[in-house]
Amino acid sequence: MRQPVGRLRFDLARMTLLLCGLLMLVPTASADVLKGIRARGMLHCGVSEGIAGFSMPDAAGRWQGLDADFCRALAAAVLEDPEKVRFVPLRAAARFPALQAGKVDVVARNTTWTLHREAIIGVRFPAVLFYDSQGFMVPAALPVASAAELAGASICVVKGTTSGRNLSRWATRLGIEIEPLVLDSVSAAREAFFAGRCAAWSSDRAQLASVRSSAPGGASNWRILPDQISKEPVGPAIWGGDERWAMIVRWVLFALIRAEEDGVTQANLDERIAAGDTVQFFATGQEHQKLLGEAMAMVPGWSVRAVRAVGNYGELFERHLAPHGIERGLNHLWTQGGLMYAPPVD
Amino acid sequence: MSDIDILVTIGIFAAVILLIAFDRLDMAVAALLGVSVLIALGLLDGDDLDSIIATAGGPLSLLFGGMVVARVLARTGVFDWVGERYLHATGGSGRRFLLLLVVLVAPLCAFLPNATTVILVAPIIVAVARALKVDFVGPLIVTAIISNSAGMLTLVGDPATFLVGSAIGLSFGDYLRTVSLGGLLAVLVVVPLLPRLLPDVWASRVPLGAEAPHPSTITRPAFVYLSLAVLLIMITLFLIGETLPTRIVPPAVAIIGATLALLVVYGVRVEPVDNVLRDIDWKTLIFLAAIFALVQAFTKTGLLQGFSLQLYDWFGTELTLVALLLLAGIGMLSALLANIPVVAAALIMTQGYLVAAEVVPEVAMASGFTDWPAATLPVFVAMMFGATLGGNATVIGASANIVAAGICEKEGQRVTFIRFARYGVPLMLVQLAVGALYVLALSLVLD
Repeated sequence: MRQPVGRLRFDLARMTLLLCGLLMLVPTASADVLKGIRARGMLHCGVSEGIAGFSMPDAAGRWQGLDADFCRALAAAVLEDPEKVRFVPLRAAARFPALQAGKVDVVARNTTWTLHREAIIGVRFPAVLFYDSQGFMVPAALPVASAAELAGASICVVKGTTSGRNLSRWATRLGIEIEPLVLDSVSAAREAFFAGRCAAWSSDRAQLASVRSSAPGGASNWRILPDQISKEPVGPAIWGGDERWAMIVRWVLFALIRAEEDGVTQANLDERIAAGDTVQFFATGQEHQKLLGEAMAMVPGWSVRAVRAVGNYGELFERHLAPHGIERGLNHLWTQGGLMYAPPVD
Repeated sequence: MSDIDILVTIGIFAAVILLIAFDRLDMAVAALLGVSVLIALGLLDGDDLDSIIATAGGPLSLLFGGMVVARVLARTGVFDWVGERYLHATGGSGRRFLLLLVVLVAPLCAFLPNATTVILVAPIIVAVARALKVDFVGPLIVTAIISNSAGMLTLVGDPATFLVGSAIGLSFGDYLRTVSLGGLLAVLVVVPLLPRLLPDVWASRVPLGAEAPHPSTITRPAFVYLSLAVLLIMITLFLIGETLPTRIVPPAVAIIGATLALLVVYGVRVEPVDNVLRDIDWKTLIFLAAIFALVQAFTKTGLLQGFSLQLYDWFGTELTLVALLLLAGIGMLSALLANIPVVAAALIMTQGYLVAAEVVPEVAMASGFTDWPAATLPVFVAMMFGATLGGNATVIGASANIVAAGICEKEGQRVTFIRFARYGVPLMLVQLAVGALYVLALSLVLD
């Protein structure tokens, strides 16, 4: 007859032994974002609800833009297939809760890198994908030459972004009064601004340029003032605590920049590799590539796959942002007066 | 975790619960089996082990300390002495026995760790029940339930209330002003249900005198005084330990208390220290540790945290509806899971929801954020009600319940999942209803 287990004597020695046994069985590998992505075979990428040039579905429903393609580059590097991305449109206020809850692996959504976000909230910004600044868009007919002349005016701003804080700080610094009209989303701000509910719209200049390109009556009816009231280094954001995932996101972006530095494009990549004249970063089959792949837990050739999927950084810019009249400015390579710079590989 | 991993984890968890609920396998073995399968499948790893130790270390230390001190006190005869007074106070009435039980346990658990209190008062309850010739299982289960419910009386009464309260910056006084009344109602609502749940005990009447136990003879006064001094030090440290220059948290107090008690046993040479350690309810401790491991695997699925955005999609900024949903949802989950990890995950979910709903700025996701608008208070109070009272439903819902069941088993009465639920489920449902009314009232007041 089975002995009732509840009556077994659980003495200290046996329990200690049992616990030690359990501890020895526990594998040492840690759960991480990369593991989760591989397990589901899909990268979950948080994007905007629709900002042309950065992330917006085209007529066929395919997400287009700098942020969307960066996610494809990541998927190509990590999953060996740029199409294994699920784009998750997020309101600005939902992006960090989505990251924290693990709904998305990375947020590529015009998110400004700030100390508060890193230190207080725990978000990590592995690198800068786009250097932007906050500016103002006004109707072309409005007789103002600079933002300082907007004193007393109503200014549209999107809730849950850095724009509102920057705007009030700027107004305080200049000693002028403004009337912020806080809207829930980019689409609400767009609607309010073009309906004339506010004299100006203050947001990231690239976003303003993107909206202007499809503005009612044509882009020429709207003007972006020259003022730049903040620094907005925007880039992919991840939840803190996974250093390997941060490293992968960072170096995939650097691979795109490095490709531009080396003149490697989507079109000539295979040719350059075949000719053996590429720099080591994009070479395959070498011992250090194997070691690097193992250290990063990536299949060797990840950088090649990223560039093959979306092109180099310059190509991304020309394809997605230039058509909206967004100038490259600080996003030029460092060799051309910009801030885009990929650290060396070894 | 992949979707398959999540499904497997939930499947294993559900299987363990079913094995326990239908009494197909011993509780501790079922829980250990579940943990072993999770480890073998790689669903619990080294990082999880760190989290489990961090979460379970405190409650297990509290229980271990309480068990050692209670075991040493039992040997002094002091429980017999208190039991004698308790029995006389009942006047032989089962009804007075139950009412006094509520009066005795609730204030203690407002300040002391619940499971530790159950360990300390259980020998007295069992002795009095036996003297009144009634089954002690029902009163012991009620003791556990009262102890859990009384955790709502003060900020420090239950780890779950403390976790939520400290996360939103509630002071002890703030808590007394805004939450304690709800806790008191949750305790008081148990009283009118006692005649229905424990009719035999309630109706029992035993003439005292001949039936009362003889006063115990305390043969070693020094041992008694030293043991009581240890108890006094432990209770004092529970109350003021965290305000001392060198902060002593309750689990550390329990370990200090256990050490001092063992020192007394060794010094007075009443019995070998080995005897005390052998009598510790190791099975309960192991079961609880395994339950914490299972809950860790469950929370790792991210299902609960992932609801932050879902809540916004469903309810927008209707905070009262969210509060009621949290009360019911966390209540149900806490009935099957240890409430501390549930609350920890629910806090993340709620903070994320409130940020996504733009009720608070994104910086509210930081652990130290305390500038919560008054309108959010009912949401957090609902979490406290759900976590604290939900655990009353089942034997695995709270460590005090597990301890009570363990004591019953040691005393020769096995408490199955179903047997506990017969008392726990109705009480939990009524208490959650009271909690919901309180949350609604709080929402109206703060609106």
